[in-house]
Amino acid sequence: MRQLLKGNYAVAEGARLCRVKVVSAYPITPQTTIVERLSEMCASGELDAKFIKVESEHSAMATLVGASSAGVRAFTATSSNGLLLMHEVLHWVAGARLPIVMTNVNRAVSGGWNIWADQTDSISQRDTGWLQIYCESSQEVLDSVIMAYRLAEKILMPVMLTYDAFFLSHTTEVVDVPDIELVDAFLPPYRPEYKIDIDNPRMFGGLISPDHFYEHRYTVHRASLEALEYYPEVCREFRDIFGREYDITEEYRTDDAEVIVVTAGTITSVVRITVDRMREAGSKVGLMKLRMFRPVPVDRWRNILGNVAKVVVIDRNLSPGLGGVFANEVQSALYPLENRPSIYPVVAGLGGRDVTPADIEGIINHALSSDDPAGVPLFWGLKQ
Amino acid sequence: MERTTQRMIEIPRDVMTGEELWQPGGLSCQGCGASLALKLALKGLGRRTVVVMPACCMAVIVGPYPYSASQVPVLHVPFETAAAGASGVRAALDIRGEEDVVVMAWAGDGGTFDIGLQALSGAAERNDDILYVCYDNEAYMNTGIQRSGATPAGAWTTTTPGEAVKEEPKKDIEKIMLSHGIPYMATASVAYPADIYTKFKKIRSIKGTKFIHILSPCPPGWQIDSADSIKVSRMATQSKVFPIYEVENGKYTINVYPEKEVTVKEYMKTQGRFRYITDDAINAAQKWTDRRWEELTGMVDGGIPA
Amino acid sequence: MAVKKRSDLSSTYKFKTWRDITPMNTSAGTMLYNKTGSWRTIKPVFEDKTPACQNACPAGNDIEGWIKLLQQGEYEKAYWHLKREEPFPSILGRVCFRFCEEACNRIPLDDCVSISALERFIGDRGTSSVPHPDLPEYNGKSMAVVGSGPAGMSAAYFCRLLGFKVAIFEKLHVMGGILRVGIPEYRLPREIIAAEFEGLAAMGIELRPGTAIGKDISLEELTGRYDYIFLATGAHGSRKLNMDGEDESRRIMSGLEMLKKVALGEEVEFGRKVAVIGGGNTAIDVARTALRMGSSVTVIYRRSENEMPANPEEVREAREEGVEFRFLAAPERFELNDDGSIRRLVCCEMELGLADESGRKRPVKKDGALFDVETDSILTAIGEVSVLDYLKGIAGTEKDVVAVDDTLMVNTGGNGKIFAGGDIIDIPRTVVNAVASGKKAAIAIDCDYRGADFGDVLKEISIGNGSALSFSRYMNWNPETPQNIHLVVDSEKMVYDYFDKAPRVMQKTGDAETRKNSFNAYRETFTEDDAQQEASRCMHCGRCIECDNCLIFCPDMSVLPKGDGHFGYEFDYDYCKGCGICFTECPRHAITMVSEEEGDK
Repeated sequence: MRQLLKGNYAVAEGARLCRVKVVSAYPITPQTTIVERLSEMCASGELDAKFIKVESEHSAMATLVGASSAGVRAFTATSSNGLLLMHEVLHWVAGARLPIVMTNVNRAVSGGWNIWADQTDSISQRDTGWLQIYCESSQEVLDSVIMAYRLAEKILMPVMLTYDAFFLSHTTEVVDVPDIELVDAFLPPYRPEYKIDIDNPRMFGGLISPDHFYEHRYTVHRASLEALEYYPEVCREFRDIFGREYDITEEYRTDDAEVIVVTAGTITSVVRITVDRMREAGSKVGLMKLRMFRPVPVDRWRNILGNVAKVVVIDRNLSPGLGGVFANEVQSALYPLENRPSIYPVVAGLGGRDVTPADIEGIINHALSSDDPAGVPLFWGLKQ
Repeated sequence: MERTTQRMIEIPRDVMTGEELWQPGGLSCQGCGASLALKLALKGLGRRTVVVMPACCMAVIVGPYPYSASQVPVLHVPFETAAAGASGVRAALDIRGEEDVVVMAWAGDGGTFDIGLQALSGAAERNDDILYVCYDNEAYMNTGIQRSGATPAGAWTTTTPGEAVKEEPKKDIEKIMLSHGIPYMATASVAYPADIYTKFKKIRSIKGTKFIHILSPCPPGWQIDSADSIKVSRMATQSKVFPIYEVENGKYTINVYPEKEVTVKEYMKTQGRFRYITDDAINAAQKWTDRRWEELTGMVDGGIPA
Repeated sequence: MAVKKRSDLSSTYKFKTWRDITPMNTSAGTMLYNKTGSWRTIKPVFEDKTPACQNACPAGNDIEGWIKLLQQGEYEKAYWHLKREEPFPSILGRVCFRFCEEACNRIPLDDCVSISALERFIGDRGTSSVPHPDLPEYNGKSMAVVGSGPAGMSAAYFCRLLGFKVAIFEKLHVMGGILRVGIPEYRLPREIIAAEFEGLAAMGIELRPGTAIGKDISLEELTGRYDYIFLATGAHGSRKLNMDGEDESRRIMSGLEMLKKVALGEEVEFGRKVAVIGGGNTAIDVARTALRMGSSVTVIYRRSENEMPANPEEVREAREEGVEFRFLAAPERFELNDDGSIRRLVCCEMELGLADESGRKRPVKKDGALFDVETDSILTAIGEVSVLDYLKGIAGTEKDVVAVDDTLMVNTGGNGKIFAGGDIIDIPRTVVNAVASGKKAAIAIDCDYRGADFGDVLKEISIGNGSALSFSRYMNWNPETPQNIHLVVDSEKMVYDYFDKAPRVMQKTGDAETRKNSFNAYRETFTEDDAQQEASRCMHCGRCIECDNCLIFCPDMSVLPKGDGHFGYEFDYDYCKGCGICFTECPRHAITMVSEEEGDK
């Protein structure tokens, strides 16, 4: 059913449709309305779940370690500092192969207190082992929650879905909320092979010696890579049932492009509009929407970006001393190719700074007009 | 057995020889109080129990991957999250219809008094239906005897070395837990096994957050002979340094009245970790102990027996 | 163990490649593969040890053993168990010195266990006429016992249990020696003594009363007729005061002589105001006997009450009955009338000087402090002596003891195999010491017969750190549980934290008024209830009673009950880390920690 929903409420609907059983969350702007909506749903019985109102995000994720290990579908949501506070437990969850799904509202990280859109929070968690998928619209977020559980419970890895603070969390869109029966058909109940079970007592998470640890970590890595095979299947099945198609990445007008812009989050929508506008004006520009960030879809990226002359990567994040992380990873993925595009790393929109079509046009034109940038990031919009 | 005037430890023989939920082969040091405490706790709880364990001695004792010395499910969780992990397991088990399974967080003093206090306070405030057990060896023993909030004043540890002993008194975790208004709070000691057995059996029928603080001697950390582990713990209670009592919905009951007089000095002299303590500090400790005991006995309805 | 060994139930996980890693980091096995027993340097073993009471008993009475049987209601079993080490419980239960009670580990807690009273309970319940269950066939050798006192009775009993044909020769017409003629009826009724001899006769021991050595039969004849001789003629003579007039009056008599006449029903003449000289049990026996014969009695002792060797309970009872005591006084001289009656007994006050070899302060006369004691009869009880005329020319005697070697054999220059025991050898003069010497002699005789080295045997059967010997060990009547009888459990080794105080139960005793007018026994044997209650005070020192402490306290689950109807526990040495908690928390020190190498032997 089509509704007008704010992004956060779309997330709540997604969790409801997946019949999550345990929610454990701590409020933080701009995630709070997810928590509020889920509380209402639990109180009214609309969602048959236990909502543990924990006293911090660290405990929120730790509580889900318990719940998920005990074999029930678990969900949480957070943002920026809350995500960082969970950091230790994020590593633990991935190492424990618990299929938890979390939505993270991309918000800037303090030192320097800012509550607006910035991807540095989830980017800084890229080594935890969590799968990461960056969403562009409220519809996509809702749909991604549903697909994320399918994926997570198949490969036994946790999945983080991210979307921009305020731009998505607090703006209203038309969202098609599917019938729960359709979702039931797509997403069966969670039946793990290994769980806390009195009749089959096991220990979970014991000390692993140097004799086994390396191989254990390797299995975690391999599980993450399985997503590259399995996720497209999930997306296809989703399309067949719900009519909307997603993929590991999305290409928009890239076939004959001379410049491809690579970006994630709401900036993608802005780029989409700008690509159309510039195409009309004669520029051969295209867009690769960076959707799945972990595991790194190396082959996909190489296929899409390998043959183009110039690639602009727009990062709404900054790793001090390095630059934008998407750019870094794209460069890294393309390095082994014989024919490599020139990469133009651009940092923009940190801390909720608006990125307009004019900005995008400016960025693209900069790439078109300049020669080898030697990988030095361009800080677009910096007041100098 | 013939009738004697021996104070028998009232745990039925068939319970002791029954299902072995805590098996040998674990990595505890000789004379470990924690291993004994868990053995007795599981005798009282039975097999419908899940243990949630953060980083602590027990997390190593229970064995490395892929083995386990426990015959009940055990979930390792990050260091500060014993209570949170337990809350999550509780929620999941309730959803699965297994409300009778006891979820027990089994944490050391480090993971309770210090780094784990927040999660514990959160769970207690929510009155989550979990049993939280702090087995207290009075320092971070697993990482090599560093001081914790549970280390008593006057004790040597590697971070309060030589004469720079810990000056601050032991954090009063019992009062902290009671201030959350939880339905059950108790202390226990491995020197009184029947009391442990009784308390853990009783736990099954209480809903809400339950907290048990068990004194758990550590021979290397307390610098005692492993053979004296139990004897020293007994002296802790006889000297009233560690009274054994329970508070059920606000009602205090002292479970062990010391049968003989033992001074705090006599108790401390048994342990090498107190060898640097000054006489002034011992006197202060004796006063502090006496005051706390008076306070505790004052909380018992109807006074203490003659 | 009937149960499959736990370490057999373990398995280790085979791991070769990353594909073998379990999903979700879960366990796949137990820790039973990890045999932590390899960490040990010392290990615990269960060993029953000698309790302080048994260690203190010269006869090595296995007190804990029969008390346990008593508690189980197995009174007959307790009786025969007791008799394996101490053959005469009804007698010793009435007259023993009770070294055991002085040493009882319960004293630091509240009071000793009334061991003697419990022994009497068992003895009185026992039926000595029932055939002895351990009676063997005769081995073809014979033994003659000279003297039917406790030493002789004991030697006869144990020799019979070793298969010898035994005859007891007794000078008097009644059997029992000092028991019969030296201990008053009210302490040891003669029926009790008679019953014991019935028991001995029922074992096939020949009784020969009215046969004196040196008169009715000579020692040479005995050595000719019997393979072994045991001399136990006792100490029935009395030490003299060595004062003028001592032998010139019918009214000055040795106390022992008086007791014997009373015991044999003979006429004995003494006055209405009796003075008893001495401070030992004989003096008290004499005093209380005279009292019962109608006299008023004063006991005169040269030291103070503290130094009296007499049993304090006896002194108290004597006082209650009306015996008077005059301490720090000694007779100075007699003044006799022409007819031999006593005109005057002059005594001198004494004071305590320096200590003598016995550790007691030497009494010293106070110059000029003389005083009269009004008396018409003086009974001396200043020490017993043995009369050894019959050994003249056969063996050497010094003072009033016969010299024996370590095997209690008398050096007769090759004239037969003669052993000696009881009051005629240099051992403390108590009934239980006499009984112990009889047991030792019997074992020595048996070693001689078998050609075994007595010294080697002693090493095996010595109990604790005293002189007592275990007849049970000599006979290999050993319990199922491992034993180490050389280790003694004294009060330092007991864990009093595990015991509740309980008041001591005493036997019912008649009041002084009733007592003093008759020779009837005035103390009653325990009722069954009283016996059970008092027996529950026994702490079973050094012996496992399956209290479960070790089982409960082991942090490594390595103490397991043996099961299958077997008593006790065993250690699972696969996992025992040798921490020693079981050792420390055993209330009664029934566990020993041994070094790892030693334990493997």
